[in-house]
Amino acid sequence: MINTTPMDGASPLFKSEIVIVYAIALKMLLGDRLKYFGLIAGIAFAAMLIAQQASILVGFTKQTGAFIRDTAQADLWIMDPQVRFSQDHIPLREIMVHTVRGTPGVQWAVPLFQGFVRARMPDGTNFTLILVGLDDSSLTGAPPLMVEGALTDLRRDRAVFIDAGTSAKKLRMKNGGNRPMQVGDTFSIMDHQAYIAGSYRSRTSFFWEPVLYTTYSRALTFAAGGDRNLLSYVMVKLLPDASLEQTRALLQQRTGLAARTNEEFIQLTADYILNETGILMNFGFAILLGFAIGSLVAGQTFYNFTLDNLRHYGTLKAMGVSNRTLAGMLFLQVAVVSVLGYGIGVGMGSALGLLMSSAGLAFSMPWQIPAITALAILLVSLLASWFSLRRVFALEPAVVFKG
Amino acid sequence: MSHSIGRTGRILVPLLSLTGMAMMIYAVVAGDETLPVAPPAAQPAASPYASTVAGAGLIEASSRNIALASPLPGIVQQIAVQPGQRVAAGELLFQLDERQIVAEIAVRKAALQVAESRLVEAQAAAIESRFLLQQVKGLSDNRAVSREEVQKRESADAVARARVNSSEAALRQAHAEVQAAETERERLHIRAPLAGEVLQVNIRPGELLSASNSAVAAVVLGETSLLHVRVDIDESDAWRLPHGGKATARLRGNAALQIPLQWVRVEPLVIPKQSLTGNSTERVDTRVLQVIFSFERGKLPVYVGQQLDVFIDAASAGGAGQS
Repeated sequence: MINTTPMDGASPLFKSEIVIVYAIALKMLLGDRLKYFGLIAGIAFAAMLIAQQASILVGFTKQTGAFIRDTAQADLWIMDPQVRFSQDHIPLREIMVHTVRGTPGVQWAVPLFQGFVRARMPDGTNFTLILVGLDDSSLTGAPPLMVEGALTDLRRDRAVFIDAGTSAKKLRMKNGGNRPMQVGDTFSIMDHQAYIAGSYRSRTSFFWEPVLYTTYSRALTFAAGGDRNLLSYVMVKLLPDASLEQTRALLQQRTGLAARTNEEFIQLTADYILNETGILMNFGFAILLGFAIGSLVAGQTFYNFTLDNLRHYGTLKAMGVSNRTLAGMLFLQVAVVSVLGYGIGVGMGSALGLLMSSAGLAFSMPWQIPAITALAILLVSLLASWFSLRRVFALEPAVVFKG
Repeated sequence: MSHSIGRTGRILVPLLSLTGMAMMIYAVVAGDETLPVAPPAAQPAASPYASTVAGAGLIEASSRNIALASPLPGIVQQIAVQPGQRVAAGELLFQLDERQIVAEIAVRKAALQVAESRLVEAQAAAIESRFLLQQVKGLSDNRAVSREEVQKRESADAVARARVNSSEAALRQAHAEVQAAETERERLHIRAPLAGEVLQVNIRPGELLSASNSAVAAVVLGETSLLHVRVDIDESDAWRLPHGGKATARLRGNAALQIPLQWVRVEPLVIPKQSLTGNSTERVDTRVLQVIFSFERGKLPVYVGQQLDVFIDAASAGGAGQS
């Protein structure tokens, strides 16, 4: 709680009287129900807007890296230097897998295909999907959890896996089928027959297209008939004693490609998406707006509240209460309102966010968000009290008795 | 001061605030959904060497996989071997329909008999003409037979001898024709050019085997007691390849199964990389050096045509195999 030193040398009041003064301050605050609730509501909505918008921004940012996190079974990703984000498909020469395998410091390296392909559901609904091809022999890079079927079911003829979490929405047959595709269904990918052999669960991704997993060689067949270079990434596991920087430099020199760690790749993707889509601008603006509106409402209400109580302050001033003690009273009032409003605000933000995230929206609240919100609310309260304080300080005690 | 807050309001607001903070703490602590990292179905193959040249290897027979065809088109009549069967050199693999050539042989054998009897006939005629000539040749008295008659008999004798010669030639020709037909018949029997294992049989009795269509081999044969691995090395890695170096192959799907490889040779010609998915389309500007290693088949669960991950020790250098 914000507090000034109660033992004010210039003040004629004693300690017990100071307590009484602060009690008066609280009584003033609680005295007007409308203003009290108005103040708390202003702070609460500002806190809610800031916390919630920031959480959604963080949530979206995390979702952009969902695929990389799901697939992060290795240490390095080898990719074309022009790759801008994780779904950006710039093919490599397939022999690169072996060049990477032959580089000192590399324990293993496996190919990974990822690309957008067109497909057609059994009832004729056309859709675009993100096809992920895992190394045939090891199936490295598989989704985190299997819901139906086992990972090795991917070795069955024409097998693909669908996302159990999003299939109801993203794989719905809208051309007469009127149900989502499910395990056991057969459909076509680029005129090749595919069979849904299982379903998996993964992190919610920023990208809307449904993600289907299959084996690397089958993905090549599906994607373009196997007649072009189609390798998207090489996933590299380093030897336990290998130096990341040395191996990375060697890999880049030998392949002429970029080597990125999981974190770097996540960062690259997040930066690209946030900047290119205007998400950062939008949410940043919403956060600023929340801050501004919260400040305005709270500041305005508090200023009105102070004006209404100006005669009480005048009386106190006439009784010999120092400006410093009066400031302390004001700060106490602001502090009480801020703490209460903050609690309600972040609570509403969290509750809404948790509800939304279960409905599939991006929401992620690391501890920094409540902390930053608290700082913002502190700033709002300081601004609100600043204007009020100027009036109280400028107050002539005699004014009170005049009218 | 008329709208003062009652006791419930005084408690309710802080209570709400506390609840809100609790909710916030829950949201922070519960955090994001944490999902485990799925382990791979099988551990990816890792190099056993510090410095490695890696490549994809394809198992083939040490004689290479011999795609046998037929020199003649025809209907397949009989297949003498099963896939997986070991055969000796010269053993019959399959046989095409030979009815026509058998009939032809019968015709030619008949012609041979005709030629034989013609020869006997000509020989008899020759004996006769010679006898007639002898009758007049030995006479000292020129008046008994006219001079003209003697000359007549002489020329008849010469003609008869020439007939014998020509009949002999015809007989030889008939012989040769029978033999040619026999050879033709033998060409319908496809035999193993060397001892080995039958790897594939792509024909069935009754099918038409066309000599011009060689897209699919009729029978694939190879020596498999010693297997070869043909390893594709990227041309840009080719300079790092130690001739006669050590190498290890790992089985796809179970990297724990590894095979030490013996150096055989390097193919001197760098070729465009072929997709091992069965499609022979050239991959854009990727050329590969092919290196051959060998290993004893033993009890390993490996098959001809299977892919292996091969790691060649780039630090080891042997003297052998400088081809």
